[in-house]
Amino acid sequence: MAVIICSTPTKPLRAVVPVKGLLPLIAPSLVLVLFFAIPMGMMIGISFQSQTEGSPTLASYSRFFSNDLVLAGLARTVVMSGLVALCVTVLAYPLAYYLARATSRWRTVIFALAIAPELAGVVLRTYGWLIILEDRGFINSALIWTGLITEPLPLSKNLFGVVVGLTHVILPFGVLSLLTSLQGINPNLEKSAQILGASRLAVIRHIILPLSVPGIVSSFLIGFTMAASAYATPALLGGAGFKVMATMVYEQVLFYLDWPFAAVMANVLLILMLAAGFIGSRLESRLHQKLHL
Amino acid sequence: MTTIDIELLSVSKQFGANRIVDDISLAIPKGKFVSILGPSGCGKTTTLNMIAGFEAPSSGQIRIRGRDQEGVPPEARKIGLVFQNYALFPHMTVAQNVGFGLKMQGRPREEIADGVSRALKSVHLEGFEDRYPKELSGGQQQRVAVARAIAPSPSVLLLDEPLSNLDLKLREAMRVELKEIQEDLGMTFIYVTHDQEEAMAMSDRIIVMQGGVVAQEGAPADIYGSPRTSFVADFIGKSNILPASAEPGADRNLKVSLGAGKAVLTAARGDDVAPDNVRFCCIRPEAVRLAEAAGALDEPANRLTGTVQKVVNLGAYIEAWMLVDGGITLKSMIRSTRLEKLSAGCRVDLAIAHSAVQLLEQ
Repeated sequence: MAVIICSTPTKPLRAVVPVKGLLPLIAPSLVLVLFFAIPMGMMIGISFQSQTEGSPTLASYSRFFSNDLVLAGLARTVVMSGLVALCVTVLAYPLAYYLARATSRWRTVIFALAIAPELAGVVLRTYGWLIILEDRGFINSALIWTGLITEPLPLSKNLFGVVVGLTHVILPFGVLSLLTSLQGINPNLEKSAQILGASRLAVIRHIILPLSVPGIVSSFLIGFTMAASAYATPALLGGAGFKVMATMVYEQVLFYLDWPFAAVMANVLLILMLAAGFIGSRLESRLHQKLHL
Repeated sequence: MTTIDIELLSVSKQFGANRIVDDISLAIPKGKFVSILGPSGCGKTTTLNMIAGFEAPSSGQIRIRGRDQEGVPPEARKIGLVFQNYALFPHMTVAQNVGFGLKMQGRPREEIADGVSRALKSVHLEGFEDRYPKELSGGQQQRVAVARAIAPSPSVLLLDEPLSNLDLKLREAMRVELKEIQEDLGMTFIYVTHDQEEAMAMSDRIIVMQGGVVAQEGAPADIYGSPRTSFVADFIGKSNILPASAEPGADRNLKVSLGAGKAVLTAARGDDVAPDNVRFCCIRPEAVRLAEAAGALDEPANRLTGTVQKVVNLGAYIEAWMLVDGGITLKSMIRSTRLEKLSAGCRVDLAIAHSAVQLLEQ
C-alpha cells in the first residue's frame, strides 16, 4: 500500500533569485580568452618579431608604411569597403521599408527571399557571380553574341566585380539592421504627416529618413566591416588584379611565410575596423540624442 | 440652412469576407461636434480612416465639402487628425511639430510662426515651443497633437479616441477644453470613441454604431432619453432592460407585461412603436424612484412595492437592486442624501412615471 506523506518543509523555501554575479560569464569568457584573446595577443606579439634578430623590432611596421604596393592595398580596401557599405545600404533601404510596413502574406515570402542568400555559402555565391561576370561569362558572352561589343567588358578581377559580389553577400545584414530601425517608427507618424499635407516624398524626407538615420549608420558600419574583413569574395572575384588587405595577409602567410609582416597587415586592418566601429557607434549615440528618440 | 461638411452615401468596407462597415449613410453638419460611438470592432475607426483617405470604401461615396473624394489622397483632403497615441514627430520640437502642416503648404516663415503661436495659444501651451515631445507629459503631448492638427485651419478635425491614454481627472478636464476649442474655432469635430460619457459630455450629435451599421443617430439627450434599440439603451448610460410585450390599455396608454407576465406596467404611448412589435422595455435607474421622494412627481406613474436586495453606495448616489412584486429585478439610482437607512431587506414603495417606461422593438 502506498503511503502518502504530507510534510511542510523544515526550512522556509528560498525565493528563486536570478543569478547576478559573474558566474554565468565564466564559460564564454574562457572560450573567448583561449580562442580569441590569446591568439590576438600572439598576433600582436608576432608583429614585433624579426625573422633575423631575436629582439622585438618595429621593422615590419616601417616596411608596411614605406611599401607603396601594400599601402595601395590598404587604400583599395578602404574604397572597396566604403562602396560596398554604400551599395548595401542604398539597396537594402527600400526592401527593409517594404518589409517593415507590409502586412500582406507576400511579406513572409519576400523576407525569406531577402535572407535566403545567406543559406548558400559565400564561395558558392561568389562562383555564381564569377560565371556571370567573367570575360567569357554570361554577360560578356551575351553582349558579344548580340554584337554590342567586340571585346569583353572588364567586369571581374577588378573593383567592380568585388563590389558586386560583396554587396550580394552582405545585403541581408543591411536589410536586417535597417528593418529593426524602420520597424521602430510608428506608422501613425506617417499618417499624421500625410494628413497634414505631406506627399509621399515629403513623408520620406521629413519623417522616415531622419528617424531611420541610426539604422542607416549601423547598416553602413556592418557593410564596411564585413567587406573589409571578407576574404573569399575578393580572392575569387578580385584575384591577382585586385588585391585587398585580407588577400594580401593570406599571401604573406602562405607564399612568403613572412608571419611578422602578415601580422602587421592584420593589425592595421583590425585598427581600421575598430576605428570605423568606434566612429560609427559614437555617431549613432549622438544621433539618438539629437533625434530625441 | 446648415451646410453639410462631410457626407457618407451608402458607404461599405469589406476586408475579405468581413464586412466591417455596412451601408452607412451620414451627413455631418458644419461646425458641429459629432461623436461616432460604439464598442471596439463596430467599424468606427474604419469609418474614420475612410474619411481621412487611408482606406478606400469598397462601395459608396464619401463627399467632403460637397466634393466626391474618390482617388483623393489623404494629403489633399485638407482635414486634421488626432491619434490616440498622439503620433508626434519625436525628432522635431513642439513648434516644428505644430508648424509642419503649414510648412507642407509652403507658407512663408513668418506665417508659420504666427500659426504656431496661435495654435499653441488655443491649447494653452504657450512657452513650450522649443521642447521636444519626449519632455512633455501625456496631457501636454495630446495638446500638441491637437495644436498640430488645427494649425493649418482644416474645416474638419478627426479625433480617434484622443483621450483614452490619459488618466480620469485629466480626461475630464480635456473634455471641457476640447469642446471649448471646437466652439472657439467653429470647426467640425468628428470624435471617435467607445466612451459613452465622453460622447455625451461633448457632442452636439452622437452616431451610435454597432456591427458596422448605425444603430441610432441624434442629439445626446434624445439618444439617452429614447434609445431605439436595447443595444443603444444598454450602451448609453445604465438601464434596466427587460423582455416585454405590450397591448393597448386605457387612456391611449399601453399595458406592458414584463418577465413571466406577472408584473404589469403602464407606458405612455410612443409614436413609433407598434404594440405588437414590442420586445423589450427599458427603464433608466434614475426613473425608478422611491415613492416618498416621488410625491412631487406631477405625471401619472406606476406604483409598485418591492424588497431591497443589494445597496451600493457610490457617494453622491446609491445604487440599489429591488426585487419588485411580480418577480422582476430593477436597478435604481437614488440621490443619497436622506437614504442612509436604506439597506438590504427593506420594503419600499416605488414609482415609475408612465413616460419613463420605454418600449423597444429589438
